[in-house]
Amino acid sequence: MGLNFACKYPFTEEGRQAIIENDIQINDEIAERGVQRIVDALNREHKTANPIHISDQLIEIGSYGAARMMLAHLKNRYLANKFAVAEAKKASSLMPGESKGNIGRLQQELGVVPAEFEDKLVLPIEVYVKFSPKSVDYRLINRNVKGGYVEVNKREIFRLMEEAVKMKVEQIGLFPNAPEIVKKYSKRLMGVVPKTAPSKMSFREGDNPPCIEKMLETAKRHENLGHQGRWSLVVYLINKGLPYEKILQVFSNFPDYDERVAGYQIKHAMNRGYSMPSCGMMLSYGLCVADCKIGNPLRWKAWKKKK
Amino acid sequence: MEKEKVMVLSSFSDYYKGTDIEVPAVEQREFGVGGFKKKIESRHLSFKTDEALKNYLVQETPLYISHSIAYYKFPESTPMERKEWMGGDLIFDLDVHAGIFLTPEEIEQVTGDAITLAEDFLEKDFGVKKDEITMVFSGGRGFHIHVKTPRFRYLEGDGRREIADYVAGAGLDYRKFFEKIDRYRLEGPKKTDWGYRGRFCRMVGKRLDEKPSSIHRGLKKPGEKEKLLGCMEDGNWSKTPIKDIVERLEGPAKEMRLETVEVDTGVTIDTKRLIRVPDTLHGSTGLIAKKLKKVDDFEPYRDALAFGSEPIKIKAKQDLPEQEFADSTMENMKKEEEKEVPKSYGIYLILKDAATLS
Repeated sequence: MGLNFACKYPFTEEGRQAIIENDIQINDEIAERGVQRIVDALNREHKTANPIHISDQLIEIGSYGAARMMLAHLKNRYLANKFAVAEAKKASSLMPGESKGNIGRLQQELGVVPAEFEDKLVLPIEVYVKFSPKSVDYRLINRNVKGGYVEVNKREIFRLMEEAVKMKVEQIGLFPNAPEIVKKYSKRLMGVVPKTAPSKMSFREGDNPPCIEKMLETAKRHENLGHQGRWSLVVYLINKGLPYEKILQVFSNFPDYDERVAGYQIKHAMNRGYSMPSCGMMLSYGLCVADCKIGNPLRWKAWKKKK
Repeated sequence: MEKEKVMVLSSFSDYYKGTDIEVPAVEQREFGVGGFKKKIESRHLSFKTDEALKNYLVQETPLYISHSIAYYKFPESTPMERKEWMGGDLIFDLDVHAGIFLTPEEIEQVTGDAITLAEDFLEKDFGVKKDEITMVFSGGRGFHIHVKTPRFRYLEGDGRREIADYVAGAGLDYRKFFEKIDRYRLEGPKKTDWGYRGRFCRMVGKRLDEKPSSIHRGLKKPGEKEKLLGCMEDGNWSKTPIKDIVERLEGPAKEMRLETVEVDTGVTIDTKRLIRVPDTLHGSTGLIAKKLKKVDDFEPYRDALAFGSEPIKIKAKQDLPEQEFADSTMENMKKEEEKEVPKSYGIYLILKDAATLS
């Protein structure tokens, strides 16, 4: 039971305990599996392993730890964020079929514990705003809020738990004295990482309005951007005359980047000739970060020149 | 201006001699002070006790003093990362754009906003307890509302932005309350809903009572108004025969926006912000940034005065209107006119650069 849970959710305290209690040490098999875990994350293969034998379960748990050690050693934010997204998606894909008890344990561990308030399923506001995805539907202003709580449904709770896993896994500390085996497999990992990503972005600071700068900054940090954010960014870049390849380069920095999907979306936006959302729309998407009063983000340069 | 500066600073120092300043967790706060040039000229200061802070105010007497909304392990350390952030209060800044004096209407507006923020948003929607809210007159043009609750202490900027936008109604779109389930069924808000959805229904109900034809002239027919009211009972908006009902409710939606509170989002989202220390003096007015038990009957030019009615002689640098101050009517003054006025009023005008000592 304990090992099974730790195997499915290795980022939990039970995962950590399983490593200590079973004295799991990194060996070639575990390190190899750790490399594979990261490569799967890069390839967006969010397969969940469900080994039955204890020895396999221990390898699985150990591989999570090994992967994190490699990421800490490499200090590669792009890989770390990709890994966090993949581990979070794996965990959330298991949640709907999970027992009530296990869900409760996960919720406690992640700090996403729902309650009942006036016969409604709710989360405390401070938990909700911390873990809600960056999308219009999840904006606090569009939610039922009362007495310090936000009404949520079961599906939304799983989505917030996914975000909480991602944030937990993303936090990778420094690892100055990595053992030889970690160094060896880190090197091997870099050898198999696809060369397509990440790509360099060159934008001069101040060329774009603060909302767009923030989105570009998010991409540079290899962090995710919500749907409306990506859509606004793509429309902005198209309107600024950036060619398809350059836009794709920007999008390749997002941890959940999929060339096929991103490519389709960019081409679709180019064909449709969408106009840039106004500042008012950007505000309602929760993307406005400064009250520049320019009406539309595309007016930034002209406004700046005039100023 | 030299003699004015000396007089103002010595008056400020006298005020601090007779006033106890209390800053919760004073030893964990960063302080910033300012003078005649800038509101914050130097920061990264810290004080171990309220008494040490008081001594500093009496002896060094800055024109402005602010403390961090944040709690730090090492408040005096630089750069910022070395301070080790340990969470912070949630702060709202409410301002009106006033001229030389706040008008009674402006005072009423900003006071009403402060009450709405505290009662409707903080207490009702966010579940903040009354004793976790401190209302402070900013000493200038509005109020600072300090929320000290462990629940919000560790919120980062993005979470604080969601809260500020909620209060300000930023990005509020009532159309999002409705969902077309299929060709026949439209679901929407119910009057028992929480937050803005409930508020919206109350606005629609009010409009139906007062002027139903402003939504649709058919609502004057018997039974039609009741149908619309029925929609808000169970959230089934298909019951009304008005096909474009969502578009027609733009009026009540605009009224709902009037119930939002315009807060300075930049202040709320900044987890390292410095905010005026309550009960200290504002360097642009000489008024006390006063902690208030009640705001509804607060009058800044009566209740936030730091200096007595001892007269000082001033010379106006511009035409000044008649003004209620310290329970008396200050007569209007022509530019260059000289007059004896109560000290609080004289210092107010000097700091506003509207008068000099004569």
